[in-house]
Amino acid sequence: MNNLDSLPKKKILSLFMTCGFPTLNHSKKIFNEMLSHQPDIIEFGLPFSDPMADGPIIQEANKLALRSKLSTQQSLDLIKYLSKSKNNTSFVIMCYLNTVRKFGLNKFIKNIKNIVDGIIIVDLPFEEEDAIKKSLSKNDIHLIKLISPMTDKKRSQKLLKNSKGFIYYISATGITGSNKLDYKEINKNVKSIKKMSSVPVLVGFGIKSKKDVIDISKKTNADGVIIGSALIQKYFDIKMDFNKYLKSLKKFIQEVKI
Amino acid sequence: MKTYKQPSTVGRFGEFGGMYVSETLMPLLLDLDKSYKKIQKDKKFKKELNDLFKNYVGRPSSLHYAKNLSKYINGPKVYFKRDELNHTGAHKINNCLGQILLAKKMGKTRIIAETGAGQHGVATATVCALFGLPCYIYMGSKDIERQKPNVFRMKLLGATIIPVESGSKSLKDAMNEALRDWIKNVRDTFYIIGSTAGPHPYPKMVRDFQSVIGKEAREQILKVEKKLPDYLIACVGGGSNAMGLFYPFLNDNKVKIIGVEAAGRGAKTEETAATMTSGTPGILHGSYSYVLQDNDGQIKEAHSISAGLDYPGVGPEHSYLKDIKRVKYFGVTDNEALKAFQTCSKLEGIIPALEPSHALAYLIKAFKNKHKNKVVILNLCGRGDKDLFTAAKAIGFDADE
Repeated sequence: MNNLDSLPKKKILSLFMTCGFPTLNHSKKIFNEMLSHQPDIIEFGLPFSDPMADGPIIQEANKLALRSKLSTQQSLDLIKYLSKSKNNTSFVIMCYLNTVRKFGLNKFIKNIKNIVDGIIIVDLPFEEEDAIKKSLSKNDIHLIKLISPMTDKKRSQKLLKNSKGFIYYISATGITGSNKLDYKEINKNVKSIKKMSSVPVLVGFGIKSKKDVIDISKKTNADGVIIGSALIQKYFDIKMDFNKYLKSLKKFIQEVKI
Repeated sequence: MKTYKQPSTVGRFGEFGGMYVSETLMPLLLDLDKSYKKIQKDKKFKKELNDLFKNYVGRPSSLHYAKNLSKYINGPKVYFKRDELNHTGAHKINNCLGQILLAKKMGKTRIIAETGAGQHGVATATVCALFGLPCYIYMGSKDIERQKPNVFRMKLLGATIIPVESGSKSLKDAMNEALRDWIKNVRDTFYIIGSTAGPHPYPKMVRDFQSVIGKEAREQILKVEKKLPDYLIACVGGGSNAMGLFYPFLNDNKVKIIGVEAAGRGAKTEETAATMTSGTPGILHGSYSYVLQDNDGQIKEAHSISAGLDYPGVGPEHSYLKDIKRVKYFGVTDNEALKAFQTCSKLEGIIPALEPSHALAYLIKAFKNKHKNKVVILNLCGRGDKDLFTAAKAIGFDADE
């Protein structure tokens, strides 16, 4: 059974965290803390040396994770280990294509089958996805689609055909030097996506606080949010004191669970 | 052999190339591809570009018979395609003019670029000054240090330089940051990529704009030698000068073609930039091509004394040409390049950039006392002014005295 098929109707919470950050042992504790709150989705970022679609905070997390030569196998083993306490939480992997390619698609699927519900391959566009999507769907793993404000209607229609799991709507783009969320634009685009697809639409990029989460829920038609950088940022805010970090993470997750 | 016709409509050179970027960039690349196709048929665009090539760049660049070097090698007749005589001192300007005209046509108002050696940065800053567009150049802090003259040039030309501190602080990381800038500023920004790397349509577009080098060389050699050359030699980092020279000759099966990569301290060491000698196929910067990577697909840091070749990837068309064996690729070390840099300066009175010094080093090494009566064209794609400090330091000359 795929947990993503039974997501709640509204206020879906997805938490992103880089595997092996800041070290493999610490990472276990972080994910256990996240799991204890039973969020709807946990996204596991597989560290990559050149994460060109990620901002500076997640880049730094990738760098720290790779400092101790974390392997893809170690990340996948970590996810497997955590799946024992998975319950209703959906597990989603977020990664770059070179990681999957080099590991080998079949071997990769073998490692995550019946553990992971969905996968986001950031740099795998719709045009190149066919073979991978087929193999994934045979094993009941959903390939999650990203839609950006630049994706026009015609392209969205192609992209959203037969989509499963959820739609990742990339909220922040197009405004030089501004990270402010444009609720009007988000609402307009989410509405248009919802006309084309029946799976939940989650808004990601630039969601930093309880207020942002509430605003998305009140001011837009989105079904939930994805929080990533804000979770990792806390580690640097607290000057990398790990015990303090775990406490502040706990407090933050409690806050954003609305 | 069939007529060479690459890439496919979706940007594939055989299995290489493609568009591996996030959905934020996909619509832009498709739009760029469409606009590029359109201007290819636009006579006014062609005329405008040719006019700039002639009157702004100083094209055609000359084909110089390097008599002294030929005598020294005691082998083939060596001709230099002198793209180092171009305005701004390298071949990079050819591509920048093409892309900025396209940016204008697309109504873009802000230009970004990455640079390694600074040659592409200078060329981009130059065309931005000419067309009055704001220019932002991403450059690794390591490269800023070793290419100071070019940093000052870019500033004089009015560009803003954004130092990149991530990763190896060189070309690869500058390209990551430029791509991130583009994702953030998709609506008004045009990204002028300087090499035949990156996602489709860049590898094709950059090759096309640079192929003026090969077209001229073909005409020029036919005029003086009454025949096609036996060999073409060019250095390959991302591969734009090489593709520019090679492309118009790919259907001439008798012309043997050689690409020379930077092997740094040796192709078998960890400190190399010889992607096709030491790398394996993978995905970097939106394109499937040979890359330097570990068993988990993490991209390795490259090393070369030449900032312009210090890149762990290579353009997808080179990967294809390697695999179909149309072009042979070899590595040359830092020291060999430095030696050739001095040899060429003394013998021909031309101080080459460290990048084509790699091609020169291969020529001197592999053709010594061989291939007599043959004709070689070597792409002298850049001049050495920018490398004087690096070279002086490496040779042990105190440039401050």
